[in-house]
Amino acid sequence: MRHRLILLLLTTLGGITWATPGFSHGVSIQYQILNSVEIQARYDSGEPLKEAQVVIYAPENPTEPWITGTTDTEGYFVFTPDLALPGTWEVAVRQAGHGEIVSIPVMADGLTANSAIGTGNEASADSSTPASKALDTPDLFPRELSPVQRWLMIGAVIWGFVGTALFFSRGKR
Amino acid sequence: MHIPDGILPAQVCVAGYAMTGLATWYSLRQINRKPDPTAEIPKASLLTAAFFVASSIYIPVPPASVHLILNGLLGVVLGYFAFPAILIGLFFQALVIGHGGLTTLGVNAAMMGVPALLAYHIFQARHSFSKVVMEPARTALFAFLGGALGLGIAALIFLTLVILNISADINANTERGLILVLSAAHIPLMMVEGVFTAMLVLFLQRVKPELLES
Repeated sequence: MRHRLILLLLTTLGGITWATPGFSHGVSIQYQILNSVEIQARYDSGEPLKEAQVVIYAPENPTEPWITGTTDTEGYFVFTPDLALPGTWEVAVRQAGHGEIVSIPVMADGLTANSAIGTGNEASADSSTPASKALDTPDLFPRELSPVQRWLMIGAVIWGFVGTALFFSRGKR
Repeated sequence: MHIPDGILPAQVCVAGYAMTGLATWYSLRQINRKPDPTAEIPKASLLTAAFFVASSIYIPVPPASVHLILNGLLGVVLGYFAFPAILIGLFFQALVIGHGGLTTLGVNAAMMGVPALLAYHIFQARHSFSKVVMEPARTALFAFLGGALGLGIAALIFLTLVILNISADINANTERGLILVLSAAHIPLMMVEGVFTAMLVLFLQRVKPELLES
């Protein structure tokens, strides 16, 4: 009899549990897959710009900020550009007199497949769409040298050799 | 401590180029007055390369991180050669390693080069104190002052320029606070560069004292 009572109690509790899947305040999470841009700002030493100020300018008004925010502790900032405003979006990251501006092309039908890579000053902002990020190299530093940088370095090395040769061949005066 | 492109308004960039043009002309004129203007070119070239590389050497000064500048050292050792050396070094830094920028090259060169020339004059002032402080402490002291103050004055110019030109689109109070923290982080760096300059000058004085005579 006692066992039957316990069984009945458990069955009733089970029924209540089954009937009410949650507690009184229902929580619902909705999600939407969006075309977002994730940027990461880092100094050339590789150190992220933590909590740096981010200002984003929409293509139709490059003087008024479209949105402002701050990067996280890893220098990341994510925003979703308005696809109704296609063109070049400007993202400026600033911290203590350092920073960089990166231009991100946005098409009317979504973000460009190729991620834009900002070339840095003392700080650099790299951007990529999350969808294409996996295809990128995980670490964008050290970044590829541009043709100007490559030729400048080649020229500097050659000039270094020429200068050294001239120095040793000048003789005593 | 290089000011990148896009931070300063165009007028300031133009004024920076004007000042750099003037300082370069004055430095080259002073160099041309030397009995043998080309004699110090190898020394200047070597230190230009050192200046170029130095800005990639970071020193953590929590909560910030600063890099070597060596403008004071260049002033002390090179004299008037320091200005063209810094200008060339900054040009390569802007193009190759992305420190600074081409629009702000003039501002950065004036910001680091003019204090370098001051550092040279501070170091030369040691001759006026020959009866007050004995050698080699005198040379070491003035080399330290030249190395440290050359950087310190440049940091003060940086501080003034960036604080006066904070973009209206960002939180000015936060930015100002961070600029002050970064500038304060240059005080230990002043000590480091001052000591390094003093050590280099003492070494040169022992092994090749004619390198310090100009």
